[in-house]
Amino acid sequence: MSLEKRPVTRFELLMDAGTGAQKAGDILLGAFVGMGQYVYVEPMIPAEISPPARSRPALSGVIIRLADFDVTNIGNDTDLILAAHEIVLDRRLDDNEFNTNAQILLDMGDQEANPESYEMVLKRCTKLGISVIPFDVDPESRVIVKELGGKGQNLYYLGMLAYIYNMDEEIVQKEITKTFGKKLKEDIMAKNLTLYHNGYRLAKEKVFFRVEVQSHKRPVEQILIDGNTSMSMGLIDAGIKLFSGYPITPASSIMHTLAKNFPAYGGVVHQAEDEIAAIGTAVGSYYAGMPAVTVTSGPGLSLKQEFIGFATVAEIPLILIDVQRSGPSTGMPTKTEQSDLMAALCGSHGDYTKVIISVSNVIDCFYAPHLARYLTEKLRVPVFILSDFQTANSYKVVTKFQLVQMKDNVDTIPDFVFERFHMKRLTATVEMVRTQQTLPGTEGGMRRITGLNTDENGKVNYFADNHQRSHAVRNEKIHHVRRALGAPEMFGADTNEVLIVGWGSTRGAIEEAIYLCKKNGVPASGMHFRIVYPLPLMLKEIFAKYKKVMTVEVAYGDMLKPSPLALLLRAETLVDIHPLIAEATGRPVRPRIIMKKIQEVLK
Amino acid sequence: MTTETVSQPAPVPITIKELNTDNPRWCAGCGDFGIIMGLKRFIVERQLAPAQTVNVSGIGCSGRAPNYFNTYGVHSIHGRPIPIALGVALARPDLNLFVHAGDGDTLSIGGNHLIHGINKNFKCVFLMYDNEVYALTKNQTSPTTRRDHPTNTQPQGTFLNPINPITVVLGLGASFVASTADWIPDHLTNTIKAAFDHPGFAFVHISQRCPHFDPNNFDHKNSNWFSFLKNANGIEPDRRLVGKAEVIEHDPSDLAQAFQLGADDRRYFGLFYQNKNKPRYDDILHNLVTKAVKKDPSKILDSFLI
Repeated sequence: MSLEKRPVTRFELLMDAGTGAQKAGDILLGAFVGMGQYVYVEPMIPAEISPPARSRPALSGVIIRLADFDVTNIGNDTDLILAAHEIVLDRRLDDNEFNTNAQILLDMGDQEANPESYEMVLKRCTKLGISVIPFDVDPESRVIVKELGGKGQNLYYLGMLAYIYNMDEEIVQKEITKTFGKKLKEDIMAKNLTLYHNGYRLAKEKVFFRVEVQSHKRPVEQILIDGNTSMSMGLIDAGIKLFSGYPITPASSIMHTLAKNFPAYGGVVHQAEDEIAAIGTAVGSYYAGMPAVTVTSGPGLSLKQEFIGFATVAEIPLILIDVQRSGPSTGMPTKTEQSDLMAALCGSHGDYTKVIISVSNVIDCFYAPHLARYLTEKLRVPVFILSDFQTANSYKVVTKFQLVQMKDNVDTIPDFVFERFHMKRLTATVEMVRTQQTLPGTEGGMRRITGLNTDENGKVNYFADNHQRSHAVRNEKIHHVRRALGAPEMFGADTNEVLIVGWGSTRGAIEEAIYLCKKNGVPASGMHFRIVYPLPLMLKEIFAKYKKVMTVEVAYGDMLKPSPLALLLRAETLVDIHPLIAEATGRPVRPRIIMKKIQEVLK
Repeated sequence: MTTETVSQPAPVPITIKELNTDNPRWCAGCGDFGIIMGLKRFIVERQLAPAQTVNVSGIGCSGRAPNYFNTYGVHSIHGRPIPIALGVALARPDLNLFVHAGDGDTLSIGGNHLIHGINKNFKCVFLMYDNEVYALTKNQTSPTTRRDHPTNTQPQGTFLNPINPITVVLGLGASFVASTADWIPDHLTNTIKAAFDHPGFAFVHISQRCPHFDPNNFDHKNSNWFSFLKNANGIEPDRRLVGKAEVIEHDPSDLAQAFQLGADDRRYFGLFYQNKNKPRYDDILHNLVTKAVKKDPSKILDSFLI
C-alpha cells in the first residue's frame, strides 16, 4: 500500500440519478471538514428527476476538491473517479477533466449483462492512458442492496472512498448517523452501515493506494455553506422582509431555505403564480416600505423585464437575484453559465438604469444583499445580483461571516461591505426624478406613481425637456456609483504582457491561473469585477499597462462576436478586447486551461 | 426604510374636493368619471384617510384612475395591478386597497393574476372597468367585446363570443362577486361599500360606457334590459330606478343560482355571491410570521458551524 501525499486533490463519485451520490458526497464533505480540510464541491445534477438508469443523461455525481488550504474554485482535473457503472464513466470522460495519471474505480456489477459496453469503455480508458481498477461489490452487500430495493450502494462507495482518503472509519460512521439518524428505521440504518463497512473493507483489501488527508485544528470559527444558502442568510441579515419568487432551477433552493427559516426572523415567503407576478409583488411591497427581493434564473429574467423598467421609472426600490444557468431559452437548467449579463444590462426596453452586482463565492453571496439594499434604497433604481449555478451550488469552508443585522436605516451598513465590492459609500445627495418620495401611510404625503414620464412633482408630463431631464436624473444616479467605484480586484503584476479579466464565478479560477502563471513564468495578470455595471472610470488607464487584455467568460463568444463582458469592456473603453475563453459548455473554467490559453496567445 | 409608519386618521373631514387632483384626461361622457366619483363618495362617506388609501391600476383608460385621487396610488403596467396590490397588502395590511383594472387587464393580459388573486383571496376591492373594448389604443376587440361588433382589429365583426366575467370569477371560487354600472351612482357606491366590508378579494364588475368608440353599447336611458338583485344580505337596488328596472330576489349564498343568473343573456346588477369564510392568503402569511417562534438574528449562521 502506498500513501500518496497530496496537498490538493480532486475526486468524483459518479452514479445514476436518485441513487444517492449527492448524499454520499454530503457525508464525505462533513467528514472532511470535520478533519479541518478545505473543500470546494460541485454537484453534477441531471435536469430530470429520474432519467432512466444506466443512461448517459442519468449521470448524477459530485466533484470534491480537497486541500489543506483555502480552495477558491473546482480546480483543473480529477485524480480519482469512482463510477457505479461504465455508462456514467463514459459520459464523464467526454468532459475531458481528468489527469493522465488519474485512477478510476469501476464497479463491474453490470458487466455480465453488458459485456460489450464495458469492453468498449475499458478500451476507451486504455486509449486515454488512464488506469482502471475494476471491483465487484461483495455478495453479502449485493443481497443487502437488493433487500433495500436497490438503495444503499452509495454507502458502499462512501466506505471505499473513506478508506482511500485515509479517514477514520468511526468518524465517518458518526457522520452517516448524523445525516440519516432520524430519517431511517433502525434495521434499515443497520443495513446501510453494514454496506458502508463492507465498502471500507473492500477498498482495504482490493485498492492498493491511499491518499493522505491530514487532520487540522481550525484556527477560527468556520462554517460550511453553499452559495444559495449563503445568499438566503444574507437576505435575512440584510433586513429583507419579503421573498417573492416562482420555482425555477437553480434559484429555487433560496426559496426552500427561506420557506423554512424566514418566518422566525419576521420574513414572508411568497410563491407567486408566475415570474411576472413575483416581481410585481416585490415591487408592491417595496413601494409600501417593506424591503423585498425577487429571485429567479434566466427564463424568469426574460419574463420580468417590463417590471424592471417600471421600477426604474416609478423610482421604487427593487432587488432582483438571477442565478444564471445555461441559456438561451430552457438551455441546460442544471449547468452553469454567465450569459445573462446582457439581459440584465439591456433586457428591458428604453434607457432604464440599473446596478449589476455579481458574486464570486459564498462570502459575496452573503453580503451582496446588503449592498443591493443600500444601493436600491439610496438610488431607487433596480439592483441586480447575478449569481450562477456553480456559485449557487458549491459548498465551501469559510470563516464565519461578521453579521450586519441591517435595520431600517441603510446608512448603518459597515465599510467592509463596500470594500468587499471595491466601492466607496455614496456621500453626495442623490437627486430623484420626483422630489417627494413618501411611503403610503405618510400623512400629507399622498402621491401617485406611474410608468409614464413625470415632472419633479410627480405629474404626468410628455414635454421634450422634461423627458430628457428624467433620463439625465436617472443616469446621474448611476454616475454616483461609477464615481464611487475603486479599481477592481487585481491579481499579479500591475503591468504585464497579458491581462485576463472576468466577473462573478470565474474569480477563483482567475486567481489560481495567475498563481500558476507566476510559478511557470508566464507573464500574465488578472482582474475581476464584482460590480459589473456601472464600471469604474479608471479602467482604460489600467488596461493601458497591459499589451493584451482578454476576458475569461462562461459565455459564448468568438472572433467575430465578442462575449458579453468583452463587448461591454470594448464599448466602455475602446480597448481591443477579445475573449481568451468564451465557453458556454456548462462547465466552470479551469485555471490550468486559462494558463495554457495564455501561453498559446503569447506564442 | 421604515416598515411601520403609523399614521393618524385625518383630522378634518374628507370631502370630494380634497380627493380631487387634476382634471381627468378622459373623453366627455366616459363611464370612468362615474366610477371614480362613486369611489370618492364612498371614501367621503366612510371618511377613509387619504394617506391610508392606495389605488393600484393597470394600463388603459381605467389605468389612469389612481392619478385622479389625492390618495396614494400606483399606475402600473398592463395586466399587473393584482401582484402589486398583493405586495402592498403583505407589507401594509392596515391600508385601504383598491384595484382598478380594465377588461384587458382583468381577462386578457392579466388573466393569470385574476385566477390567483381570487384564489389567494387577499383583502382588496377589485373594480373591473368593463367598457367591452380596448379604447386607449383606439378601438380594438377586447376579451369582453360582444360577438359581431366591428373593431379596428376585427373589422368584419368580433369573431368570438365574449368571456363572461361573472361566471368566470364564480368558477374561480371568488368569495365576493357583484355587478354594477357607471351610470347608477347610488348602486355603484353601495356596491363598493359592500365590497370594502368583505373580508377578502371583492370582485366588482362595472359596466362602463365608452361614448367615443361604442356609444350604443349600454342604453343608459332605459332600464328595461337589466334587473337588480335584491336580498337582505345583498345590495340595495338603485333608488332612482326602483319601479323602472326589474328587481328580483337573489340570496348571495346561493352559488348555483348565481351561476344561472351570471350566464343569462340579461344583465343583473347586485350581489351575485358572497362567502365570508374563505381563507385569506395574506392572513395566512402574516400569521406564519406572528406565530413563528422567534429566532435570534445574531445566530443565523450557527447551524453552519463546523
